[in-house]
Amino acid sequence: MEITVTGANALVSPHLHVWDWRVSLYLFLGGLSAGLAVMTSVLHVRKGGALATGERAASTAGLLVPLILSVGMLFIFLDLERKLNVFWFYLTVQPLSPMSWGSWGLLVFYPVSVFYALAAFPAERRQQLRLPVLIRISERLSAYRLQLAAANFGMGIFIGVYTGVLLSSFVARPLWNSAILPVLFLTSALSAGAAFMIMIADQKKVKLFFTKVDIWLILAEMVLLPLFFYGQYTSSGAHRNSILPFFTLNHEYFWYGLGLLFLVVIFPIAVVLKFLEVREDHGDELTGQELMRMNLSAVMVLLGGLVIRLSFVYAGQLSRLS
Amino acid sequence: MKFSRRTFLKASGAAGCSLAAYAALPEKFLLWAEEQGMLKASYVPTFCEICFWKCGAMAKVLNGRVVKLEGNPAHPGARGKLCARGNGGAGLLYDPNRLKTPLIRTGARGEQKYRKATWDEALDLIASKLKRIKAESGPESVALFTHGTPTDHFLPLLFAYGSPNVGMPSFAQCRGPRDVGLELTFGEGIGSPERVDLTRSKVLVLFGSHLGENMHNSQVQDFADALAAGSKLIVVDPRFSIAAGKAHSWLPIRPATDLALMLAWIHVIIKEQLYDKAYLDSYATGFAELAEAVSDCTPEWAAKETDLSAESIVETARLLGHNAPNVCIHPGRHATWYGDDVQRSRAIGILAALLGSWGREGGYFLATRSSLPKLEGKPFPEPVKAPLNLGNFPFAGAEGVTQEIRRATLTGEPYPIKGWIVTGTNLMKAMPNQKETVEAINKLDLLVVVDVMPTDTAMMADVILPECTYLERHDALAVGKGRSLSISLRQPALQPLYDSKPGWWIAKQIANRLDLGDYFPWQTLEEKIQAQCALWGVNYQELKKVGTITIPDSANPYITADAPAEFKTGSGKIELYSKELKEKGFDPVPRYTRHPGPRPGEFRLVYGRSPVHTFSRTANNPELHELYPENEVWINSGKAKELGVKNGEYVVLVNQDGVRSNRIKAKVTQRIRTDCVYVVHGFGAASKGLSRAFAKGADDQGMITRYAVDPICGSTGMHVNFVRVEKEGVHA
Amino acid sequence: MPKYAMVVDQRRCVACMACVVACKKENEVPPGQFRTRVVELVEGEFPRLRMELRSELCNHCDNPPCVYNCPTGASYKAADGMVLLKKHRCVGCKACVASCPYDARYINEEKGFADKCTFCSQRIAEGKQPACVATCIGKSRIFGDLDDPASAVSAALRDNHHEVLLASAGTKPRVFYIKKFGTPE
Ligand SMILES: Nc1nc2c(c(=O)[nH]1)N[C@H]1C(S)=C(S)[C@@H](COP(=O)(O)OP(=O)(O)OC[C@H]3O[C@@H](n4cnc5c(=O)[nH]c(N)nc54)[C@H](O)[C@@H]3O)O[C@H]1N2
Ligand SMILES: Nc1nc2c(c(=O)[nH]1)N[C@H]1C(S)=C(S)[C@@H](COP(=O)(O)OP(=O)(O)OC[C@H]3O[C@@H](n4cnc5c(=O)[nH]c(N)nc54)[C@H](O)[C@@H]3O)O[C@H]1N2
Ligand code: SF4
Ligand code: SF4
Ligand code: SF4
Ligand code: SF4
Ligand code: SF4
Ligand SMILES: [Mo]
Repeated sequence: MEITVTGANALVSPHLHVWDWRVSLYLFLGGLSAGLAVMTSVLHVRKGGALATGERAASTAGLLVPLILSVGMLFIFLDLERKLNVFWFYLTVQPLSPMSWGSWGLLVFYPVSVFYALAAFPAERRQQLRLPVLIRISERLSAYRLQLAAANFGMGIFIGVYTGVLLSSFVARPLWNSAILPVLFLTSALSAGAAFMIMIADQKKVKLFFTKVDIWLILAEMVLLPLFFYGQYTSSGAHRNSILPFFTLNHEYFWYGLGLLFLVVIFPIAVVLKFLEVREDHGDELTGQELMRMNLSAVMVLLGGLVIRLSFVYAGQLSRLS
Repeated sequence: MKFSRRTFLKASGAAGCSLAAYAALPEKFLLWAEEQGMLKASYVPTFCEICFWKCGAMAKVLNGRVVKLEGNPAHPGARGKLCARGNGGAGLLYDPNRLKTPLIRTGARGEQKYRKATWDEALDLIASKLKRIKAESGPESVALFTHGTPTDHFLPLLFAYGSPNVGMPSFAQCRGPRDVGLELTFGEGIGSPERVDLTRSKVLVLFGSHLGENMHNSQVQDFADALAAGSKLIVVDPRFSIAAGKAHSWLPIRPATDLALMLAWIHVIIKEQLYDKAYLDSYATGFAELAEAVSDCTPEWAAKETDLSAESIVETARLLGHNAPNVCIHPGRHATWYGDDVQRSRAIGILAALLGSWGREGGYFLATRSSLPKLEGKPFPEPVKAPLNLGNFPFAGAEGVTQEIRRATLTGEPYPIKGWIVTGTNLMKAMPNQKETVEAINKLDLLVVVDVMPTDTAMMADVILPECTYLERHDALAVGKGRSLSISLRQPALQPLYDSKPGWWIAKQIANRLDLGDYFPWQTLEEKIQAQCALWGVNYQELKKVGTITIPDSANPYITADAPAEFKTGSGKIELYSKELKEKGFDPVPRYTRHPGPRPGEFRLVYGRSPVHTFSRTANNPELHELYPENEVWINSGKAKELGVKNGEYVVLVNQDGVRSNRIKAKVTQRIRTDCVYVVHGFGAASKGLSRAFAKGADDQGMITRYAVDPICGSTGMHVNFVRVEKEGVHA
Repeated sequence: MPKYAMVVDQRRCVACMACVVACKKENEVPPGQFRTRVVELVEGEFPRLRMELRSELCNHCDNPPCVYNCPTGASYKAADGMVLLKKHRCVGCKACVASCPYDARYINEEKGFADKCTFCSQRIAEGKQPACVATCIGKSRIFGDLDDPASAVSAALRDNHHEVLLASAGTKPRVFYIKKFGTPE
């Protein structure tokens, strides 16, 4: 077939390129903050709060959530072509628009995560909050920490799912248009949250706990990823074609193949490393080498999450229905 | 209402104020205001000059800017529509590369070095040189090359000056052989706009004529209507053109063999008695001689020549015969292909006659018989020397044979040519063999180019005069001869930008300086137009408002029992056999001769139109450039594979004389035969002043170093060059 | 309330691009950007070739993913069926561009808002035809009211087999294509 198009827009032809790394980073950081929020709730609720006792991350993790989220939001803001109109997000509710849901959701997520961080702030360290107002709020809120933990957990899941739904709602982009994508993104967000928790925690028990959690999450990702590709492959022609960039040994698509290869290598390695970490006989304190290994595997997981966002954002735009 | 002087002053004062206020307001606000309905755009009727169809257009003017052009519903060539190019006309108006002031050459010819000059300085220089040439060599030594509406102003200047030597590319590089061939057959040509009755034809045949790409507004409208009405389309073209894509039969003919196909069709139609006997009996002469001459032009013979199957030739011939007389074989327009083009045109005429379609529904309708009186002016002086612009061609047309002037300039025979005035034509792109053009120019004492853009030809000139565009000026009334007479007005939609001037003003200024002012007796062209309107009984005020006025025609466009046909040939009949040609030593019935084909490794270079461009004139138009910024060379997929050329890759064309083209993108396609390549004409500008078009794409004319002159009328067949396709950077 | 729609009679299109240029001028579309395009498709092998010409624009879908995905309500479906834009609301998030299966949208390079074919609503309001329809040399584009049985669009759809682009996307386009000769099956 010879095709000549007169009057094509460079933005959509020969393929879409509306979104770039800024959106990828937004999705990644949004996911990370969501995952971290979930893990923070877990940290405090687990074993009736025993897990959190004496843990540095019990105070820091909760505060990092809105911080990471803010950095992520900065990137999506950078992507908007008409930044001065951003207030319109909040003058309307568009029930069918994931982005509208997302912007409202983030609006709720912010205070919830902040309140929860304050509520869950260990009493013995409240003085670190410095500002008397914050200390007072933290004291008041601590009564509702369980409810807030639930809300924080819920919002974390919501945002984690949202980062995937944002893409999967586009019938026009077959690579994104898969129900597995939100689950994959959620899992990856949770896994990144766990990995991040491992890195910021100072206690061995906490690190090992989240390592165990992460093993399950990575394993889930390792099931979801092939399932995603399998689903695309067995779907319509457009869906099948959409995954081609990942499987074509063509210089044009080099980065996609490499990205996938990276994931295929990195996740098993991370799992094995983590498995070893859990199985190993550690002393009371983790040695420097053990710490290094733990951080390394955590970084791998985080990188994996980033690679997924980058490659899916870009590759999805190469896919089209026709 | 009576207009008192006071109210008039008040009104004009208010208008003046609001105009001033408009000009001060930022454009965005004005657009917004227009959206809110606070500001009304005005529509100025005029007609288009992006090609020669002269479609009636309405210029939408907002705050002194032409923001859009629309077709004038009252104009028969437009019918409320403009083609892509017409729609993009304001791209010319606002092209920042436009010629803005008169320019005088400072460097050597072709060095593209100029300095700005005032109009007085430039016009005085021209006048003094023209005077000198007249004194030294006689007025006949100045020639005019012209095309389009500037002709209406500069031809009178040339004639007043005393020279008969005009050359328009519309004859020897375009329609000449077609018109001559039809005149020899029917006593008149097909006209422009062509009087083809497409909408009623049951079968429509296109030889080349790539309607759709070849975009003449109302003709293409008719073409689409014909297809929608179920007319059967036969397209004879070595390339799968847009029209071929619509065809019921596409005959991918070997280039240069059309005459063989036509003769075979004639053969079949005669042999199977598919012709219109009654029509021929009443109106034609020479049937027996024709039948005799084509007796051995069998489909089998033609099949070998044309690379078509004998079956398809017979089948299509029968389709024509069975649908006679409602068959239209389009006589083409750019007919200067192989040097035997008058004869090919004759063959089309003969086919039309056999099918009885001249003057019949679905064939060709007859010219309107109305006419308009001429506005008499001072009679022009009789030239002393015989015109040289007709060469030795017995049937050269009044528009002149451009390359005869060029030849005389080069050789000094029969007498020298010292000065050229060039208006509305880009000779470097229009005429074959650029080397000859450059050499001729180098012999000149004076080359004046009147143009709107710094074209390749302008860049050879001694003096360049910037004409304002068609949207900024008056021009002569355009008289259209379609089914009826139409009169259209061109009037400025805005005042000329920069220091550019209308053509009529330029011609008049030169005339004044040559003491020929009497030939331009009116102060403004509008005065002359008004006088003409008065003579024709046209209400000028009305015309200003509607743009086009049509004079209803009571005559019958078809031959009927009570309106029998007249043919202005020697015999008063349709001449299937031409005594006139016989007397002048040419074949009285067209005879096929085989033309040389490409040698191994070579392709015949053929060219045509892009629907979004007009020749070279739109290549730099920002609004059209973006749709087709550079031309591509169409090359057959199989051949491309052999050559290792990929689609979209840049290649270079090298012609039989070793001339290399600019780099050009390969369009690797199934849509063309293996023995030719195709490019869109008009690209590869050499003028650096054309910031968009400069060096974009390849110039087909650069490859056309050879041309086959038709001995009957002097037209230049230009499909006779062969090229090799080389990868970019490879040097032989 | 009229129900506006367009019919593209592909048999009549001659790929002249008049629509493309007219649309740009009418709607001040920035250089390099377009609201409508013409697609030429050729299949087969020399000399057995088949050509399809198709002008494309926003389909003004009855089930418009671009509208659903717009977070600010800038993109909306008007009562007469036109999918339009409130430019002052647009944040330029490009979700609508990504969600259109027909690649009918672009981001106005000069001003940052999303844009696309509006069926020339400003001309419709004045009782005119859309610019591309008015200038269509082949009379390939037909515009009108589906609810009016006498309208040209209704007549064209009644008399001809027609299709929409990417019907499987479920967008319910309001631009209909007549590809072949013949009446509805
Ligand atoms: N868009 C646009 N339209 C125009 C113009 C323009 O500049 N731009 N110019 C106008 C003018 S002045 C003219 S004269 C006309 C010219 O337009 P036409 O009269 O249509 O021009 P041609 O050269 O006859 O046609 C070119 C076609 O002939 C085919 N061809 C080449 N060689 C042969 C051959 O040997 N035999 C056959 N059967 N076909 C062949 C080519 O493949 C191509 O499709 O266009 C007019 N219309
Ligand atoms: N190789 C090759 N040669 C060809 C053809 C081809 O297809 N291939 N086609 C042939 C045919 S059919 C024809 S009709 C001729 C056409 O030959 P030309 O009429 O010379 O065609 P253009 O290249 O459009 O050049 C027109 C010139 O007029 C200028 N111009 C435009 N508007 C105005 C105006 O309002 N005032 C003035 N003063 N100038 C203006 C333009 O800038 C440009 O320089 O070419 C013929 N020569
Ligand atoms: S056919 Fe097109 S370019 Fe030619 S005069 Fe008409 S609108 Fe202008
Ligand atoms: S064609 Fe695209 S932009 Fe137009 S309404 Fe449908 S989805 Fe929206
Ligand atoms: S770019 Fe504008 S119109 Fe499109 S979805 Fe975003 S806000 Fe809505
Ligand atoms: S309807 Fe108007 S906006 Fe839409 S494609 Fe046609 S001209 Fe452009
Ligand atoms: S104006 Fe009409 S005929 Fe020309 S390309 Fe557009 S849709 Fe086709
Ligand atoms: Mo021509």
